[in-house]
Amino acid sequence: MATTTAAVTLASDLMSTNMSVTASTTCMKAGTTADGLDQMEYGYLDLITGDEYDLIAATPTAGKASKLYLKNHSTDETYFIAITQGTQAIGKLYGGDWMFIPADFHDAAGEIAITANGGTNKICYALFHEGIALNASA
Amino acid sequence: MATTATISISSDIAPGFSGISESMTLTQAGNLIDIDSTTGFQIRKLSATGAVDLVTMASELVEPKDSVASKIYIRNIGYKGIIDKSVGVTIGVNAEPIGLLYGGDWMVMPLTCIDADDITATPATDDTVVLEYVMFYEEA
Repeated sequence: MATTTAAVTLASDLMSTNMSVTASTTCMKAGTTADGLDQMEYGYLDLITGDEYDLIAATPTAGKASKLYLKNHSTDETYFIAITQGTQAIGKLYGGDWMFIPADFHDAAGEIAITANGGTNKICYALFHEGIALNASA
Repeated sequence: MATTATISISSDIAPGFSGISESMTLTQAGNLIDIDSTTGFQIRKLSATGAVDLVTMASELVEPKDSVASKIYIRNIGYKGIIDKSVGVTIGVNAEPIGLLYGGDWMVMPLTCIDADDITATPATDDTVVLEYVMFYEEA
C-alpha cells in the first residue's frame, strides 16, 4: 500500500494560554481503511497576473478522498493568489501562505482555479488522488 | 504575537519525491503584521446527516474583515477515541462542497469571511463525530 502522511503543527500566542496543536493523518482512498492514495501530481509554476487558470489540468475522479496542497512561494507579501472552486471564492494565499484541503472535484464545475495578483506569483502544488481522467492525445 | 503553521507531507507514491515541509506565519493581508484575532479553539459534535454551519460569518461576535488573509483549521477527531477513516464529514463554503474530512483528516484553508461564505459541515452518516476547529482573522 502506498503511504502518504500529512502532519500539521499549529501554534499561536493570541490567547492567554498558548495554543499548540499537532495532527497527523494517513491519506486513505475514499471509504477504506486499508488502501492509501496511490497517485500524485506535483508541480511548480509561475502564475502571471490576469486570467484565472485551472490549477489541475485534468479532472480527478469526483467524490473521492483527494488531497490538495498549495503554497504561494512569492517573497513579496503584497502578492497573492485568489482561489475559487467553481464560482465560489474560497480565499487568498499571500506570499508565504499555504493550504491543505480535501478536494472533492464534484464535477467539471468543481475545479480549483487560481488568479495571480500583484505580480507573477510562484506556486507549488501537490495533488494526491486515486484516479484522474487523462486527456486523449490529439 | 504570532501564529504559525507548519506542514509536513511524506509519501512513497512517486519514486524520488522527497516530501514537503513548509511553515508560514499568519499575517494580515499584504503586510508582515501578525494576524491578531481568533475564534479560539472549539469543537462541534455532530450526530445527524444534515448540514450545519461550523462558522456563521454574520454571527461572529467580532466581525471579520472580508476578503483578506483569514485561515481556518479543521480536523475530524472522531468520537470518544474512535476515529473511523471510512466515513467523513463534507466541509463546504457557502453551498460549495470543498471535500470530505475522513476520520483523522485535517485541513488548513484560506477564507473570504464574507457573510454568505459560511463554513458548513455535513456528516455522511448519523454516527456521532466531532470536529475541532479554529479560525484566525482580521477584525473589520
